[in-house]
This record gives sequence, C-alpha cells and structure tokens, in this order.
Amino acid sequence: MAATLFFQVLVNGLVLGGLYACIAAGFSLVWGVLNIINILHGTFVVIGSYSAYYAYIYLGVHPFISVVLAGIILFIIGYLFQRGIINRVVAAPVLITLSLTFGLDLFLNNSLLVVFSADYLKLNLANPLGVLQFAGIYVPVDRLAAMVLALFLTCLLYWVLEASRIGRAIVAVRMDREAATLMGVNAKHIYAVTFGLGALMAGSAGAMLSVIFPISPIVSTLYLSKAFVICVLGGLGSVAGAMVGGLVLGVVESFGGLIFGPEHAMTISFCLLILLLIFRPTGIMGKKGYE
Amino acid sequence: MKTKLVGLFVIVLLLLIPIISNNYVIRLATMMLMYSVFAMSWNFIGGMAGYPSFATASFFGLGAYAGALCQVNGVPMFLAWVIGGLVSAVFAWVLGLAILHLKGHYFAIASLIVAEVLREVINSATGITGGGMGLNIPVLRMGVDAQARLFYFSMFVIALVTLAVSAYVSGRPLGFGLKCIKQNEDAAGMTGINTTIYKTTAFTLSAVFTGGAGAFYASWVNYIDPEDVFEILISIKPIVMVLMCGAGALVGPVIGAGLFLFLEELVWRNFLTFHVGMLGLMVVFLVIFLPTGLLSVDYRKFLKKVVR
Amino acid sequence: MRKRSKISLVVLCFFVVFAASVFLSVHEVWSADKTIRIGAPLPLTGPLAPEGKKIQQGYNLWAEEVNKKGGINVGGEPYKVEIIYHDYQSKTPRAVQLAEKLITEDKVNFLFSPFGSGATKAASGVSEKYGIPTIASTASSVAVYDQGYKYLFGTFTPNQTLTDPMSKIVKENVPNAKKVAILARNDLFPMAIANVMKKSAEEQGLKVVYFGKYAIGSMDHASALTQIRAANPDFFFATGYVNDLILIRKQMADLGVKPPAVGMVAGPAYKEFVEACGPLSENVLSASWWHPAVRYKGTSVFGPTQKYNQIFEKKYGHVPDYGHASASVAGVMLQLAIEKAGSIDPKKVRDSLASLDAMTFYGPVRFGANGQINSLKPPVFQIQGGTQVVIYPPEIKESEFKLSTK
Repeated sequence: MAATLFFQVLVNGLVLGGLYACIAAGFSLVWGVLNIINILHGTFVVIGSYSAYYAYIYLGVHPFISVVLAGIILFIIGYLFQRGIINRVVAAPVLITLSLTFGLDLFLNNSLLVVFSADYLKLNLANPLGVLQFAGIYVPVDRLAAMVLALFLTCLLYWVLEASRIGRAIVAVRMDREAATLMGVNAKHIYAVTFGLGALMAGSAGAMLSVIFPISPIVSTLYLSKAFVICVLGGLGSVAGAMVGGLVLGVVESFGGLIFGPEHAMTISFCLLILLLIFRPTGIMGKKGYE
Repeated sequence: MKTKLVGLFVIVLLLLIPIISNNYVIRLATMMLMYSVFAMSWNFIGGMAGYPSFATASFFGLGAYAGALCQVNGVPMFLAWVIGGLVSAVFAWVLGLAILHLKGHYFAIASLIVAEVLREVINSATGITGGGMGLNIPVLRMGVDAQARLFYFSMFVIALVTLAVSAYVSGRPLGFGLKCIKQNEDAAGMTGINTTIYKTTAFTLSAVFTGGAGAFYASWVNYIDPEDVFEILISIKPIVMVLMCGAGALVGPVIGAGLFLFLEELVWRNFLTFHVGMLGLMVVFLVIFLPTGLLSVDYRKFLKKVVR
Repeated sequence: MRKRSKISLVVLCFFVVFAASVFLSVHEVWSADKTIRIGAPLPLTGPLAPEGKKIQQGYNLWAEEVNKKGGINVGGEPYKVEIIYHDYQSKTPRAVQLAEKLITEDKVNFLFSPFGSGATKAASGVSEKYGIPTIASTASSVAVYDQGYKYLFGTFTPNQTLTDPMSKIVKENVPNAKKVAILARNDLFPMAIANVMKKSAEEQGLKVVYFGKYAIGSMDHASALTQIRAANPDFFFATGYVNDLILIRKQMADLGVKPPAVGMVAGPAYKEFVEACGPLSENVLSASWWHPAVRYKGTSVFGPTQKYNQIFEKKYGHVPDYGHASASVAGVMLQLAIEKAGSIDPKKVRDSLASLDAMTFYGPVRFGANGQINSLKPPVFQIQGGTQVVIYPPEIKESEFKLSTK
C-alpha cells in the first residue's frame, strides 16, 4: 500500500514535471540568448491553447496536430513583437526590458480578455485517451503523450541550436554580438527568430495543455510563475536545465503536497528556489547559457 | 533658493488639498503620497545603488500584516505603523545579507520570489492571519471626513520623512558610496567602501518606509488579504514611476508617483474593461520613447521647435 | 539654465496633476434628474472576471426591463434606473475604495455590493458609514451580516442551507455511506462551505476521513487525490471556483478516484463547468440558492420564474444560473422597497427593505433581523444527461439522485 502510494506520487510528479518543462523551455531560451525575462510567455501559452481549442471545435483538428499550427502562429507573433518593439531595447538593463515585456503583457492579456472573455474553456476529446494502469498505479495517457511530445520538441530545439545554420547563428550572437555581426550575421533578425522560437515553444505547449488545464486568459500568470521557478531551478537559459528543473519541480510539489498538505506544495517549491538562489545561483545544472 | 521656494509651494499645495476637495480626491491624494513613498524607497536600492529590486511588495505586505496583527491585538494605530516599518526593516536587513551578493537577473528574481513565499506562508498560516479569508482591522470610531483627513495628513508626514531621509542620504558618504557601487561595484570595494554594509543599509532603508506605509494601508482600508498586499504590481509600479522621471533624482520619484496615479486614474475611468491594457500601452510607450525619463526631455528646446 | 527648466517642469507637472484632480472631482455632477443611480463595483478583470461578468448581466437585465416598463414608480412619479459600474480588478481593497468613490463622487442613491462574502464584508463598512442601502447579491457567510450593520441586505441564505440537504441526500441514497473526503480551496467562501459541510456530514453520522486545503492558483491536485483514493470515501466533496473544479474533476478521472457520490460547490451550477468537463460532469452533485427549474409565481417586474428564464434567454442566448438570478433579484428587491416606501430617501428605503415581504421569480423575499434573506429553500441538483436537474426539495424535484457508476 505504502509503496503504491509512493510510486503513484512519484509518477504524478514526473508527469507533471514533464508538462512544466514544456512550459519553461521557450522561456529559458529567450532568457538565455536575449537576456530578456519574457513576461509575455504565459500569455503566449494561453494563445496556443485557444488556437488548439478553436482548431478542434471548428476544424476537428486533433490538438496534438495543432501543436504545429499553434507553434507557427506564435512564431509569427513572437517574431513581430521582437522585430517591431523589443529589439529597440534589447541591450538595455534588466529593468527596462522587464518593464517593456510587462507592459506588452498587460496589453496583450487584456486584449485576450476582451476577445475571448474570462470564461473557462476546456478541450474535450471525442475519444478520450484514457488511463494506463499497472500494479495499482494510474498514468493518464494525455499527460503522458504531452510529456513525450514536450520532450521531443525540447530535443528538437536543442538540435536546431546545435546543428542548424540559424541555430549556430543564435549561439554566435549569444556569445559575442559584435563579432557575429562582423561575420555577417544579422543580429536583429537572429534576435527576432530566437524570440519567435521561444514563442513557438510556448504556443506548442499551450496546444498540448489545452486537453489538460482549463483555458482562460487569467491562467497566464500561473504558467509564467512556473516558468520562472523552473528556469532558476535548472539554471538560467539552458534548455536541458529547463527539462531538469521542470521534473524536479514536479516531483518536489508532488511529495511536498503529500507530506505537508496540498496548501503548502507551492510554498515549498518557492523556498527551495530561494535557497538555491542564495547558495547556488547557477541552478542545479550549474551551467549557463548555450556555450 | 529656487528649489526651496518650489518645495515650499508644493507643500502648501498639498496641505490645501484636504480643505478644498471631497473625500474621494483626498483618498486619491493619499494614494499618491503612498505611491511616492514606494518610489522614493525603491530609489534607495534601485536608483542610488542600481540594484533591480522587486521587493517592494514583500516589504509592503509584511508591514501591512505586522501592523494589522498588532492592531487586532490592541496596539494603538500609530505604534502599529512604526512596528510595521521596523518588522519590514529587520526582514530586509536579513534578506539583504542573503541575496545582495546576487547580480542582475538573479537578484531581480530572488527579490521577486520573496513576495510569493511570504504570500504563501501568510496564506497558509490561517490560524494567525486568517489566510485567504483576509484580516479585518478595527475601524476608527470617528467621522468620515475627519478620518479621511487624518489618514491624509499621516501619509503626508510619512512621505515628508521619507523625502528628508532621501535628501540626507544622497548628500552623505552613504549616498556617494551607493553611487560608486552603481558605477562599478568591484572598484568601489577596492577604494575601501564596505559594499555589503552599504547595500544592506540601502535595502533596509527601502523597506522601512514601505513597511510603515503597508501598516498604514491596513488601517486605512480596514481589510487586507494576502493576494492584495503581495500583489506583483506593487513591486512594478514604483519602478515605472521612477523611470518616468529618471532614476536617481531626488524629487523625480514624487513627481513620477503623481503622474502615474493621474494616468492610472485617467485610463481606469475611461476604459471600463480595457484599462489594464491601456496602462500596459503607456508603459511600453514610456520605455521605448523615453527610457531616461520625462525630466530628461529638454522642454525649452522642444517648445521652441513647436512654436517655430 | 537646465536646472531651472527642470524645476519649472516640476511645478508644471504638479499643476497639471492638481488641476486634473480638482477637475475630476467636479466634472461628474448629478446627471439628469428623475434617475435613480445605483453603484456597482464589480471584478471585471482579474481572477474573478467570469463571476463579475455574470453579475453584471443580471443587473443589466433588470435595469433594462425596468426602464422598458417606464421605470420605478416613486410615489406616482416614474424614475429611470442607471447603474454605474466600476472595475475593482478582483482586488478587495480596491472594491472598498470604489464603494466610497461611488457614494461620495458619483453620488449614487444605492449600492450593489462587490462579489463574494469577503469583499462584501469589507465594503459594507463604507456603505454603513454613509448610510446607503446596499444589496449583497453574492454573499452567504453569516459573518458578513452579523456585524450589526443596518444598511446591508443579502440574497443568499447561510451556507449550511446548502450542505445540510446535500449530506442528507448522500446519507439516504448511498448504500452503507460512512466516509467523507473534503478538498477545499484556501479562500473565504470555499473554506467556509467546506467547514459547514464537515459539520453537516458529521451530523448525519458520516466520518470525515480526509480534509485538505489547496492554495489559490494550484495547478495540480494529484497528491491530494492520490491520498483520497487511498482513503476510499463514499462521498467526495470539493470546493473552489469553476477552473479549480474542472481541473479536480479531470484529475479524479486521471487517477481513478471514483467514489459513489461526488459533490462540488460552486462550479456545477454554471454551464461552463458542464461544457468544460463534458461526460465527466455526469452525476456531480451540487446545490445553489436558485435554479432555473424552480417555479415561483413572482409578481415583480419579471413575473413568474418561467418568464424570467425566457427574458434572460432571449437577451443572452442561454439559460440563467443562480449568479445571474441573484443579481437580477437584488435589483427587484430594491425596486420593491423603493415603491413601497414611495421615496428614494436612504433611511426610508432601508426601513422598507427590512420589512419587505414579497414573492419574486427568485422565491419569497423576507429578511432576517441581520439583513440576510431567510425565506429561501435552496435547491439541490445533480448533473444528469448533461444538464442540471433538481433532486431536492421534493416540491420541485425533476429526478431522483443517481449514484456515480464505478
């Protein structure tokens, strides 16, 4: 009995952690490369969820296919935001960039509220994916699938950064903007692409989460605060760090909720975060950026 | 001489408000003074020392709860405010020793997360704080008009003290040291400035008045809950106010607070469900077109251009 | 030179702000006469926005209907109704401020309270100070009304009028019912109703085997639900707002939590809950202060309940829930009291409200000495076939209680 409980809670935590990781990956990318804390991230996730929801309602597109669609929509939005607005302050101190994305988020989120209203929606599949069960341990398939998809996307992102031309350009700009510019890299374009990729990850995550969490513009801050915690846990600006940070947070919250009661689950993760910041500010992975 | 005259003029103006206005305008003016306390307090750590602090909400909320709990347990109102300020100051001192070695983003995040932790802690300590049910503070047994004026003048005094301390600090070695730290912390350390003590003092100064204002706020609105007093906007607003008028300037924060409140009120009145979005647009506009603040614009030149 | 221009700018700024504040204070004067102005601070943005929107729809429907019929008859003279809305961004202290603004600056005659017990309690102090009759359309906690205030009246009966019949139904219908698990959002109303449910269940001889709280903004309930599954309760009762309950219901299915009876407050009364949960909402038990299936022969502006449902559906395209109805009836109460008093004098209207005894589409309206309505019998309902059907009280029940299928 006790063993079942333990493993069930562990599985809960890992699956939840997978979802968390996919929320945080894009946030981490933008932070790492552009040195910008993107407050818009939560709202981007919500837009992804709405895209998947309406694609399913009106076109019958399965949300796991909408991942691509939502990704493309958000890439365009993200690219335009960076190219048109955020690029103007990209080298400014943290206060300036943070205030800017904060202001943009107030605007964008309020616009969503006006367009979609605050009422909660949820995407219900006509054929629910069901639940796997073995030895008394339950694993919901939709969460599992979202987690696998998130892992796949994160690996893809990693690969893009490592192996593709644009990825190498991103890393080059991250390391030394001046030098990269001299080598013929268009830094403004690269910044916009990076921000677009971050938004793309957010949108894809949102599409996957549309079958799991209620959808409303109001939930954006929840996503954002998770992304924050995960990035610091895993180490700022590393995709692998986001993965590890997400899983750690999921497991900590699960066991925290079990041991101390559900109302303390979030407090525990925040305390962990502060301790980590004080004693090991580079995060669990101890690595910074994309070097 | 001129500066003193202007200061005197502003003070007289502020003292006139309660005589010529209704309770709601007095409430707004009180709010403006409170915002200016936030902005001036933030200026110690953010403007002078250049540390991107998002801890205003923590200090404010902690002060509010400390003061409120004192009052609920029978401590007189004014004493409760002082206690609220002191509790925040002690907290800031300890917190500062822990997180002020962090730089840039790391410091920003750490100071931001503290408010989340405090909120959750207070939320789950239902037995003492009422948790999510909030806390009711005893109502003053006096007339509506008298109450509005009492709170206005109290906030006026708090703001004045904050301003005086700001002026004092910026002219002393502490203020100079902080400016050195802002320029180049390592170099400042090498010239013999004890950077840890300086930074922690600035952080504490930024907490004490904010905490006092928090306790004041609790008595003023008679009801607080964790969601409200640890709201992230409380940390962001003073930064915007200071940015509006240029960081580091002495009276900048006060004017910034006034302007900010005015704009906030303006959009809020004219856009029933889109005022948050309009506020966001304003922030964006400000950051992009006036990153160094409104005061940095050379108005004479600008006016001349317009006239011609 | 530069320094001086800066100083003059300081003065300029200050003048602008000051002039504007004076201007703002005088530009809104009494609007056209023969109008009754009612202030309504509502959470139109922020986490409570969905609720705020509902309440606003309810008020608007009433105001529109009254004005269509020529207004409120005050001693033979018709008065139009105007509701002044302000958004308090789901922040309680802001609601308190707005109550004061509405009274002192917008010069409203009456007030509708902000959303929920917490904000209503906080704002009731202001309306009491100024002596403005205030109708609370969404506050049920007795603590709100037991402050000794004279100007506050509420449309919801105390919480245990919901939990008592629910636990009784569970006890009578679930074979061998013994164990109850409760999971509550750590927030004013959800905690209050969870606490009274514990009491009601214990009075029925049921044992509470799990009582958990979750933080506001929780995105995961797996740990609590895993423990609840291990406790194997006969009745699981969860409290929170729509989003929390959608997530809890979904995660129950994910983790195989299948008790014979599932109760939730306050989501299942809303169509959003049923739509978002889909088949999972089936057989969820809940209770609310009103339900479109109730039938009262109301005599006020909306007539009987059927008529109210009809008018509402025509305007908004869906069936009203208790939130809409309570908001509309708040207006009706005020109207009845004003017409009875034949005056808009706050003191007279207050006395008229205190002695009100009328039948409305919402049910009979009489207030207790503390201002809380005491004439209602809240219906208990269950979601069957994708819609809420009443199973209690017997006079209006549409169906029998069904056990959740294992």
